[in-house]
Amino acid sequence: MRTIDDFSLPLEYTTPLLEPLGNIVRDWAEREVIPFRREYDEDWKDHRLILPAMDKLLGVYGLQRFLWPEDLGGWGMGKSNYFYVAVYRLVEEMARADSGMCVAIGVVLWPIVYITVEPHVNRRLCEEFAPMFCQTDRAVFSCMAMTEPQGGSDIENVELLKGSTIQTTAVKDGDEWVINGHKLWPTNTGGVADLMAVICTTNPGSDDPGDIAVIFVPADRPGVTQGEAYEKAGMAADKNGDIWFENVRVPLWYRAHGPGDDAKYYGEIVASGNMGTIAMAAGVMLNIYEKLGEYTSSRIYRGKPLKENDAVAGALSDLAATIEAVRMIGYQAARMLDRPELYGDRWSPEVVAKIRAHRYFAVDRCLEVADTAMNLMEACGADRELDVEKHWRDLKMLQLWLGGKQLCQMEVARWFYACETL
Amino acid sequence: MNDLELFPYPKHRLQATDLDLAASLKGLVEKQIMDKRLELKEDYEQLLKPSLGKLMVEIGLQRMFWPEKLGGEEHNEPGAAYTVVAALEQVGRADIGLAFQAAHSLALQAALALEANYMEQQCAAISPLFCEGTQPLIVSFILPAFAEEEGVPEWRGKGLQVKARRSGDTWELNGAKVRPTCSGADADLFGVWCAVEGENEPAFILVPGDVPGLTRGEEFLKTGLAASRNADLGFASVKVPASACAWRGDEGLYRLLSWYYLGLAAAASGALLATYEIIKEWGDNRVIKGRGQIFKENPLTGALMGEIAKDIAVVRLLAYNLAEILAEPGAYGDAGSLAVFTSALIIVHQAYVAAENTIHHTMELMASAGYAKEWQLERYWRDVKTVQCYLGAYELAKHDFARWFYGTKTL
Repeated sequence: MRTIDDFSLPLEYTTPLLEPLGNIVRDWAEREVIPFRREYDEDWKDHRLILPAMDKLLGVYGLQRFLWPEDLGGWGMGKSNYFYVAVYRLVEEMARADSGMCVAIGVVLWPIVYITVEPHVNRRLCEEFAPMFCQTDRAVFSCMAMTEPQGGSDIENVELLKGSTIQTTAVKDGDEWVINGHKLWPTNTGGVADLMAVICTTNPGSDDPGDIAVIFVPADRPGVTQGEAYEKAGMAADKNGDIWFENVRVPLWYRAHGPGDDAKYYGEIVASGNMGTIAMAAGVMLNIYEKLGEYTSSRIYRGKPLKENDAVAGALSDLAATIEAVRMIGYQAARMLDRPELYGDRWSPEVVAKIRAHRYFAVDRCLEVADTAMNLMEACGADRELDVEKHWRDLKMLQLWLGGKQLCQMEVARWFYACETL
Repeated sequence: MNDLELFPYPKHRLQATDLDLAASLKGLVEKQIMDKRLELKEDYEQLLKPSLGKLMVEIGLQRMFWPEKLGGEEHNEPGAAYTVVAALEQVGRADIGLAFQAAHSLALQAALALEANYMEQQCAAISPLFCEGTQPLIVSFILPAFAEEEGVPEWRGKGLQVKARRSGDTWELNGAKVRPTCSGADADLFGVWCAVEGENEPAFILVPGDVPGLTRGEEFLKTGLAASRNADLGFASVKVPASACAWRGDEGLYRLLSWYYLGLAAAASGALLATYEIIKEWGDNRVIKGRGQIFKENPLTGALMGEIAKDIAVVRLLAYNLAEILAEPGAYGDAGSLAVFTSALIIVHQAYVAAENTIHHTMELMASAGYAKEWQLERYWRDVKTVQCYLGAYELAKHDFARWFYGTKTL
């Protein structure tokens, strides 16, 4: 049988860095994650098994230094023109082992994009926060505090609502912001977060994007409270909880950029999150491919290996075809982010809409074939020890976050059909 | 009219006792299960096991078909199919795993005690287990599965997991790594579809859970159905009396499975009624787009909610339609016929395909809340998928459909 390395890669995009980086992460996944992942569901609250693996990749191997400038102890990837393609590769490898862990690790980097990636580097904030990530061999977690209880995906719907529904407020008081509000669901909360990028409004109810502020808040600031993690259907390595901000004070210069730019670059956050989601889906599917290949080779149906039945082979083919297509879509999305000179600004409505389209198409297809993969394994499809059911549970979340499928559809329709009221 | 009555079903076909039973079960499961599950989650000992006892023993689902003279309710006419749907829909609304277990029990009762196919000897032998105890009698089946080696005797392409040999007045059963459909860790009675040494025709043999030579592996973790603690089994020279063979040949198994699928379809309908309640509350109370727009009033989400309701309505009608088919053997044929079995197989697969899609869509609308245990939706999603896996590959069931409708010979 072929292996996961026989699926096509867009060789035009690859860089010398991808192969060694990918191999490091695959080795980490094989040693530190895959042997233990069947016990992760019971570890959702304490992370006794989960945290050591994240410490290894983020802290010891240093992935959390990926974006920060080299002179501050980072790897300097924020100024490269192949950053997102590299991220795609890393995410795919991580998700093959555990997409919950993958998103937790990915989100360590995600808010940092705001201040470390050219052309929107905030040097002063880099100097402020790089040490906490670069001068330790323990995992340090960041989170992107967006969603609020009252509006769900409204926060992500910046193009339409322009921040008018944001209820978390940032008020200037001297040389400080005073932040009040309630966020829920961010990845890496539930007591995990060390640094938060908080989406606030400086003028509640305003639909002026200039009033949207992204402010970095160290989690140990007085007034920050993280609630318990929610128990979920899967994604045990990704803790999600509530965060309350009660008169939390940070310096004014903890704002990512300033009026207008915070909202503008938020588009890149959305686009990159969607690109990463495609990579996660592809990684999950690669492992399902491996597991289903083993299963259908070793089980007998009508006197032959299951995979030799034409109907089963048709379904297996759908799975392989989906991986081929999703990987290409995902790399293309990454390439669009890496090459603004060809595709436009990474935060532009066009790029955001197109990558949202890529994401929801890719994840929908993956969900379909993952459903079928479980069916083909019959009763064993639901067994934890065969791993496919875990991926099936995790995969669903990839469709739900970042505003979910319906918001994707609205943004896509808005851009492609010039809809004005959606 | 309560919300569940919005979804049509052939009410005129149900007897007053069926409606009373459904109403009692609705109240019971709400109090016994739904009100407690936020606290107890899917705890087997504290929530699911006691609930199973109430359903099977106190309500009496495990006595339903057996003759009165043997301690049963003797509700064993074909019209009992409506009762099965009315009851298991309510149970499935609260917990699919419990409905799944009850479906096993009711299917076995129907296969042995239906008035037209009454098996006197077997009923006399095993009905006391169901009627005299104060504990729920957990029934499980051992059906064909993909084999892990070549040369295993097959039934409809899949390996028979247990081999039986007749020796005088006893059957001797052997099998390793045997996967039951339900509750391998707890079941009190297994209905085993066995290959018979030296013969082509399989035998359905009833094996008590405490018989010497029957071993149980450790309970394994699975996607859902927490009420069914499953484990693989070993049969090492398990001996049961000759009378434990309930039937030989396909007809009896088709009858059993037709009734089993009826119970499972009802469970799917119940799960979807629960899904409706969850998304209705969400749609009524959620405000989106920050301008006071109620979630259900948004054209896109409202349309998806409409699709969800449509699929729930269709699954409910399908479940009751299967009840109609089983209740009217004069019109549709016996439950043991290939025609009825195929219809049952089609309906149960369609019910679970639709249920899975419907809950997928509901989860999309609720986003992270749909995925979090606190909102209760995700348990139905996991349970529905697990039942679907235990039904067998939908992709291969299509061959069963083709065999009947197109007369295919080799699939």
